[in-house]
Amino acid sequence: MSDHVDGPRQIGDPPADLTDLFAFTSPENPAHTVVAANAFPSAGVTAMFSNAVDYSIVIRRVTVAGRGEGSKFQPEGPEYRFSCRFDALERGADGKSPIQRGTFTCPGGQTAPLVVNDEKGASTPDGVYRVFAGLRSDPFFLAWAPAVLKKLPNLLQHDNVLAIVVEFDTTRVLQPDKGSLFGVAAETKPLAGTNSPIGMEPPRLDWVGRPEQTNMRLNNPAMDGADDLRDLWNQQTPFAIAPDLEPLFRERLVESLTNWDMRDGRADWTPSAIRSAASVYLNDFLLFDVSKPIDDTTFLEIEKSTLHDKPYQTGGGRTIDANVIDIMITWMVNNDREFLQGGATQATKLGLKTFPYEATPNEQLQTVMSTIDLAGAPGEVWNVIGKFGGEWHPLVASVQLIGEGIGQLRRIELKDGKQIVERLDSINNAARSYTYTSISGVGVSAYTGVLAIQPKSSGCSVEWKVQYLADGQPDFVVHTIISTLQKTGFEALTKRFGAAT
Amino acid sequence: MSSTEALKPFAGTGREITSGAVSPIELAYPLTDGQLALNNLESARRHSWSTFWLDPLRPNIAEYIVEQEQLTLQFAGDPGALDRLDSLVERLGRVDHDSPRTLLIQAQVSSTAHRFAEARRCLDQISGCAELSASVKRLSMNIDQACGTQLDAVLESRQRIAAQSGRLEDLVPLGALYADLREFDRAHQIYRRALNEYQGTSPLAVAWVCFQLGVLWGELVPESQLALAAAWYQKAVQCLPAYVKARVHLAETCIRRELMAEAKALLMPAVASCDLEVSWRLADVLAAMGRVAEADKQMLVARSGFEALLTKHLLAFADHGAEFYSGSGNDPQRASELARINVANRPTLRAFEQAWETAVAVGETDQAAEILAAAKARWGDTHAFVFSRLADNYRQAINAGGLKTP
Repeated sequence: MSDHVDGPRQIGDPPADLTDLFAFTSPENPAHTVVAANAFPSAGVTAMFSNAVDYSIVIRRVTVAGRGEGSKFQPEGPEYRFSCRFDALERGADGKSPIQRGTFTCPGGQTAPLVVNDEKGASTPDGVYRVFAGLRSDPFFLAWAPAVLKKLPNLLQHDNVLAIVVEFDTTRVLQPDKGSLFGVAAETKPLAGTNSPIGMEPPRLDWVGRPEQTNMRLNNPAMDGADDLRDLWNQQTPFAIAPDLEPLFRERLVESLTNWDMRDGRADWTPSAIRSAASVYLNDFLLFDVSKPIDDTTFLEIEKSTLHDKPYQTGGGRTIDANVIDIMITWMVNNDREFLQGGATQATKLGLKTFPYEATPNEQLQTVMSTIDLAGAPGEVWNVIGKFGGEWHPLVASVQLIGEGIGQLRRIELKDGKQIVERLDSINNAARSYTYTSISGVGVSAYTGVLAIQPKSSGCSVEWKVQYLADGQPDFVVHTIISTLQKTGFEALTKRFGAAT
Repeated sequence: MSSTEALKPFAGTGREITSGAVSPIELAYPLTDGQLALNNLESARRHSWSTFWLDPLRPNIAEYIVEQEQLTLQFAGDPGALDRLDSLVERLGRVDHDSPRTLLIQAQVSSTAHRFAEARRCLDQISGCAELSASVKRLSMNIDQACGTQLDAVLESRQRIAAQSGRLEDLVPLGALYADLREFDRAHQIYRRALNEYQGTSPLAVAWVCFQLGVLWGELVPESQLALAAAWYQKAVQCLPAYVKARVHLAETCIRRELMAEAKALLMPAVASCDLEVSWRLADVLAAMGRVAEADKQMLVARSGFEALLTKHLLAFADHGAEFYSGSGNDPQRASELARINVANRPTLRAFEQAWETAVAVGETDQAAEILAAAKARWGDTHAFVFSRLADNYRQAINAGGLKTP
């Protein structure tokens, strides 16, 4: 996955694990540039940044120092460094969820305090910079099994990440009159401590330039037995790969790109073109030109045009919604002969047109599921539990049906006096299953249930699955209510039909 | 270091520890706050489960859950992790029955619950699966180490892996193996190396090593060095305040040094974890403080909790149960029974020692002799046996004519 879980150093502390990097023109203000770095693959809804890590996005001016087979992008001049550091958790007011504060530092040293997950973000006093830090829907999508290039559904569907989004005035910060092409990389490093070696840079935990440098190119999943170079790569300094290690990385990139080229059994790249592309990939920063248009299709255009010995036409970069994986795989596998579309065309959610541009986080669907194997025949059991208005459950005092067919409601009076209203959404008597939605009585939203019977040996297997969003209620309360309902119901069915032996 | 000094919170940055004759540990870089790290673990764990229920066959999701539940069990002391892992296997068994991946995960879960024979059966079924061979090999090695079998081969593999990677997660099992082999200085060196060379930010990783060092000096060496063990346990707690096992072990060192107020202060914040050793040790502390009614209440929680856990996960808790019942749980017969179950499941030298001691405690002389003979047969030729209290007892028994030479 883009740069998700790409080395052992990050696995121990996942908020230090960078997943993706973006650079694009602000959809809100064309005079502004946005750079964003994401971290913590598959973050849960309460995920927070590490307080021991410096999160930086670094931009440097770049020149095209060679074209065609000698393609080279040369970083020049000083770096523009945007850093975020975060505190430990603070107790939330009135027992609410804990909060986390942080500090954003921009090039030149100006700072702005920020609160994680504050949608409005924080701005520097001069209004030049704006920053957001917090949980968002993961904009990356990967819908391939990379080792065998088989289409799959999006492997990051419903995932969230921790995002740092920085927007700034392009002219005031980058001074594009001195050159409008830039390279950007993001990195995580441990903070210096009191015992840190003096004069030594802290070891890098992770960094990311272009997507999939580590998980697909340096560690090509189809190359069995190759040493895993990802951790070594992650310790390199962005914009300055150690010269003594460069041959090692170059050789691996050539081998890997050759392997990718032959995935469809056809050589679309010449060996010299592969070597040139490897050189470009060694300059692992995301290229963007602030004087040219950047949209969802311009990713890698600067590199491709330069390798073809042509002036580039777009601003390259990477937008939130760019289908980078398919653009990249197509280029590596068939040199853009035919577009390779994976099993998904977009991430779980599309990006926003307003700050902070990355989509709101996905809610975490809770599931309570029970299964029981009974001695009774499937039809026999379905006759009892397959009626939407059936009163087979021992905790139910009465059921009143309102309406008929799909859409009908059942008003359930529980023995403890509680009332629950549910709607029938679908029923399949042949497959012996029905689905329903809770209308009221449980206090959670998006509550759906499935009751289904499958034949198993001489008896059957009954599955009862309930899913819901907890809506701020303590999850264990709702979970306990539902699991008790399921357990009691299944005990009654076991008594009636016998347990499968 | 005096006993009270060992209990003081680390001052200042807390990056150093003075551990008796041992030079201070100085981590070069700060660690992520322990509460924050556990918050993130819990958050990721819940997310993984949510994803799993939506798509149980999503690549890597079940594997992530196994890792996250193992960490939750280890660091948060939540025994519910074992139930959840069983439900994971149950679900995978329904949607992906008998696939090599399901069998590997089932083996991992069985091994986590110390159902080693079951784990080995699963691994046997996938031994020919080339795609999983590295994982199968790794888990087989873990099981061999946990059961004290083929330790020469395990040592060779662990040494090779540690030399290649130099990573903390490969060094700690090597240190633990040296400790099992009673090569305590080597174990200590390896643990120290793991700490000295660690350049990450995870408090879980560092707390784990500190805990292992605490166990080494507090429980494994022939003559416990309580102050030293306490210092390491305290470092573990400092890295990860909610590290329940480290709190319990640190409290035990306090109890052994009659520092009851300190022990209570360590245990009280961990009561909510549901780790039964918290209730057990708290009962001991309260009893020593003369608060009999409260002590009885905690002991009842511990006793009923242990029995409930043993009903569900007998092999996972047999050794802990034996320890509980041979101590203030006060049921030596049950202790002996559980210790025998444990040694049958994982015939390590420690398991033999526990089984022998509990048999002796209830006067089961024949049983004790059998255990001693079996221990000698299995471990007698090893360096570790020389350091075991069983070695002396074996010699005495032979001299007294109460035992036949195997």
